Amino acid sequence: MVKSHFYDAIIIGAGNGGLVAAAVAAKQGLKVLLIEQHNLPGGFASSFVRGRFEFEPALHELCDIGPADNLGNSGKLFKDLGTEIEWCSVPDAYRLIVTGKGEEIDVTMPFGEKEFIDKMEEYVPGSRAKTEEFFALCNEVNSALTYLAESKGNPNKKKLIKEFPNFLRTATYSLDRVEKAMKLPEDIKRILNAYWCYLGISTDRINFPLFATMFIKYMQRGAYVAKNRSHEISSALEERIRHFGGEILYNTKVEKILVKDGEVQGVITDSGIEIACKHIISNASPHVVYSSMIHPADDVPEFAKKSLNARRVAPSGFCIYLGLNKTKEELGLKDYSYFVYPTMDTSKLYESMKSRVNPLLQATVCLNNVIPDCSPKGTCIMSFTTLFAENSWDDVKPEDYFREKTRIAQNMIDYFEKSTGIKIKDSIEEIEIATPITFAHYTGSFRGSIYGYETDSWDSVLPRMMMMESDVLIKGLRFAGGAAFRTLGYGSAYLSGETSALLTIKDIKEGKQNG
Amino acid sequence: MDKKLNIKIKPIGLLDIIAFTKMVKKRTSIINAANTKPISPSNVNINALLLHPKKQIMKIVEVIAETPKVKTFVLKMVNDTLPAFFRAGQYVSLKLKIGDSIFTRPYSLSSSPNDSKRGVYTITIKGADDGFFSKWALDNWKEGDIVEVSSPEGNFYYEPLRDSKFVTGICGGSGVTPFLSMAKAIAEGNEDFNLTLLYGSCKECDILFKNEFDRLEKAANGKIKVVYVLSDEKLANYENGFITADLIKKYSKNSPYSVFICGPQVMYNFVSKELSTLNIPHKYIRRELFGEVKRIEMVNGYPVEHLNKFYQLKVNYFGGNTQIIANSNDSILVSLEKSGIKAPSKCRSGECGFCRSKLVSGNVFIVPDGDGRRAADKKLGFIHICSSYPISDLEIELPK
Repeated sequence: MVKSHFYDAIIIGAGNGGLVAAAVAAKQGLKVLLIEQHNLPGGFASSFVRGRFEFEPALHELCDIGPADNLGNSGKLFKDLGTEIEWCSVPDAYRLIVTGKGEEIDVTMPFGEKEFIDKMEEYVPGSRAKTEEFFALCNEVNSALTYLAESKGNPNKKKLIKEFPNFLRTATYSLDRVEKAMKLPEDIKRILNAYWCYLGISTDRINFPLFATMFIKYMQRGAYVAKNRSHEISSALEERIRHFGGEILYNTKVEKILVKDGEVQGVITDSGIEIACKHIISNASPHVVYSSMIHPADDVPEFAKKSLNARRVAPSGFCIYLGLNKTKEELGLKDYSYFVYPTMDTSKLYESMKSRVNPLLQATVCLNNVIPDCSPKGTCIMSFTTLFAENSWDDVKPEDYFREKTRIAQNMIDYFEKSTGIKIKDSIEEIEIATPITFAHYTGSFRGSIYGYETDSWDSVLPRMMMMESDVLIKGLRFAGGAAFRTLGYGSAYLSGETSALLTIKDIKEGKQNG
Repeated sequence: MDKKLNIKIKPIGLLDIIAFTKMVKKRTSIINAANTKPISPSNVNINALLLHPKKQIMKIVEVIAETPKVKTFVLKMVNDTLPAFFRAGQYVSLKLKIGDSIFTRPYSLSSSPNDSKRGVYTITIKGADDGFFSKWALDNWKEGDIVEVSSPEGNFYYEPLRDSKFVTGICGGSGVTPFLSMAKAIAEGNEDFNLTLLYGSCKECDILFKNEFDRLEKAANGKIKVVYVLSDEKLANYENGFITADLIKKYSKNSPYSVFICGPQVMYNFVSKELSTLNIPHKYIRRELFGEVKRIEMVNGYPVEHLNKFYQLKVNYFGGNTQIIANSNDSILVSLEKSGIKAPSKCRSGECGFCRSKLVSGNVFIVPDGDGRRAADKKLGFIHICSSYPISDLEIELPK
C-alpha cells in the first residue's frame, strides 16, 4: 500500500511552531505532513539522557501556561488540543545577582503583582508608587495586545485611543526609553530588567511592549515547566498530530520548496522524493528558506532578499548541563532561577556576547527546585546558559572546538561559584556542553540562533503582526516559530504555529471559492 | 490605582501615536533600503556539518593484519576532504549492504583526532565467533572498497570538568581501540590526562598494538603506562590472571582516579563486582557501551519462555507498511535488517535513541542496561528498537 503524495499542507520542521501548526491544521481536518530533519520532535524543545540523568536542553520556564483556573494563551492552546502534559510550577520569579563593584545586588523576586511590588519595596524602600505605575503600564500593554490579536488586524481606532493611550504612546520605543520617560529610579530598573536576557538584546533596544507582556504574564500566571522536560511537551504534540490523522516524517530534510508563478507547488526531500502541496508552513526561518530552499532560486522575491540583509539574526545559546552527585540541599542551591551578571548595563553585556573571550552573563537553573525528583536520589541537575551574538563563533576551527567548549564552561562555572559561594565542581557526575554549533546541528537554524530575529522596535511583534499578510511573499508559504511574527520564545512560537495553521485553512477555503 | 496613568515619550504624546501608526511604513522602508545581495551561509552551520556530518563516504586505503583474527582498516574520504574531527574514545557506525539488506555496526576509532586532520580514520575489527558483521567485513573488505561511515558518536571520552586527571583504563579484546586513540591523543598533546591501562588478553599473542603502545609510552613522558594482564599464560613482565580490585588498586596510586572500562560483557560483569569493593563514586566510573546483546536469554529478567519463538511484526513507515516474521531471539532492529527494511541505528545498545520508534501494539522485552529512553517516551510507548525484543505479535511505526 502506498499512500498518495499530495497534502493540503506540509509543515517544515517539528520545532515548537511546526508541531503546533501541524496539530492545529490536522485537528481542523487538513491532510498534513510534518517533515523533520532530526529523529525527534521539538527542535530545541527536547531532552537528552546521560547516565542517570535526563536533561532539559532549552527551556527555563514558560510564562503563558497558567494554573488550571487561570490559563494563559499557551495553556488554553494545549487544553484545546487535548494534550496530556504534567506541568510543574516554578516557585519564585528569579534570584538576581549583580557582582560588579558598586553595583552589587542579591535579590530574590517572587511571582504575583502584589508580592513582587511588596518585595521591591523591601529591597528599595519608597519604590512602591513607581513599581505600581510600571505594572499598570505593563497591564495596559498586555490588554492592548490581547485586543489587537482578537481584532485580527482590524482594531477599532477610537477604542484603542480611548482605552490604551499609554500603550499607543510607548509601543514603538525601547524598554530604556520608556523607563526613562517614567523616571524610574536606577535601583528599581535594575531589578525589573533582570529578564532582559530572555529576549536576547539589550534594554536600550528591546521593544517595550514585548518586554512588558512577557513580564506581566510571568507576574500574573507564574511560570511552568513540563515534568519530563520539554520532550514531554513535544512528544505530547507529536501524539496529537498522529491522533488527528497527521503524518510525520523524521530523519528527512526538505531540500527545496518548489515554486511556480509565485506559488508553492511542493517540496523535494533529501531522499529525492517530490511531494506535492499548495501550502507550506515553515518552522525553518526565512533566512534558511529564502537563502537556500526556494526552487528556482530566481523566484525569491526582492523584498525577501532585502529582508535577509535588513533583519538581524538573534543570538545563539551556550549551555552547560550538569548532573551532580549531591543534593541541592547539600550544595546549598536554594533557588530555581539565577540571573548572574557583573553589571546591569545590558548594552555592555550585549557587547560581550559578540566575542567568545569571556561570556559575562548567565542564567542558571537548578531543576530540582521545581521538580524535586527530576534526578535520582542524592543528586540534582543544573544548567547554565549564556548567549553569543553575531559572528562570535565563526572562527572556531573544528580541531579547537572541544577545548573551547571546556574553557568557556569552566569560566562560567567558576563565575557562578564565585558569585554564590556554592561549590559544584567536585560533584559533576555528568556534563554536556551545547554551543551555537550544537544548536545549528540539531535544528539547522541559521548561525545556531535560538531566538529568531532581534526585536528592535522596528522589527518587533507589532510591526511583524501588522505585516503578517504582506509578509506572505510566495503564495502558500507561511512561517511559524521563533523567527515568525510573534517573535521569540516557546509561547510565541506556539501561537505563531496556531495562527499560521488557521490562516492556511482560510487560504485553502478562499482558494476553493475562487477556484 | 487611582491616578490615571499618563506616559508619553516625546514631549507631545501625539507624536508617539503617529509613530505607532507608521510602524508598517517604517519596517517596510528599512527593509526596502537594504541590498539584495545573497546571504552567505554562516560558518557556524558549516562547522556544524563538518563536526556532525550525516554520513561520510570513505574508501579503504590499507588493510593491516594485526593477528590472524584481527585486521585494521585505514579509511580516507573518497572526495579527498577531511573526515570529521572527534574526541578520542568516540565511535563511528559502519554500514554494510548485503543484497537488499543493510546492517550497521559501531566501531571505536583507533586513530587519533589528529589523524583525522591528516585525512585518516582507522578502525580495528576482531572476528568474534557470533559477530556476523565483523566476520563479513574481515572476509570481504579489501583495499579500494567504499564504506559508509557515520559521524563520530558516543560519550566515552575524557572530560576535564568531570573526570580525574588520573584515568585507569580497563579493557579486554578489541575494547583496546578507544584507549589506543586516547593514548595517541595524549602523546600528541591533544588530551591532557594520565592514562594507566590495564589491558587483559588470554595470551601474549592476542595482545594488539604492543609496539604502538611502547612507542606512545616513551613519547608521552610518563603520562601513559600500559599493564598487560594475561589470563592463560604466566610470563615475566606481565600480570597474570584477571583484572581484580587488587590489581586496579596496585596501579591506581593517585586519588581520586577515574576508571574507564571497555570490553566484552563478561569482562564488564567481572570488573564491576571487583570495583564495588573499592567504593569508587559513580562519577569516577565510566563504561563504553556493549553494542548488541548477543544472547538475549543471558540477560537478567528476560522471560525465557519467549525464546526461540516467531512473532508477526507489522511495520509502518512513510508511504506504506509491511508484515514480517520476527525471531524473538533477535532485536526488532535485527529482524528489520534481515528482512531488508530500512531502519535507523547508531549505537545498537539502546542508548543514543536514534532508532526511537513508536510501539503501536504488542509487548517487548527491553534490555534493562540498554534502556536509554526519555521519561516521556516510556510513558507514550516509544521504544529503542535496537534494545527491544518481541515477546508477542507487534505493530511498530518507524520514524521515516
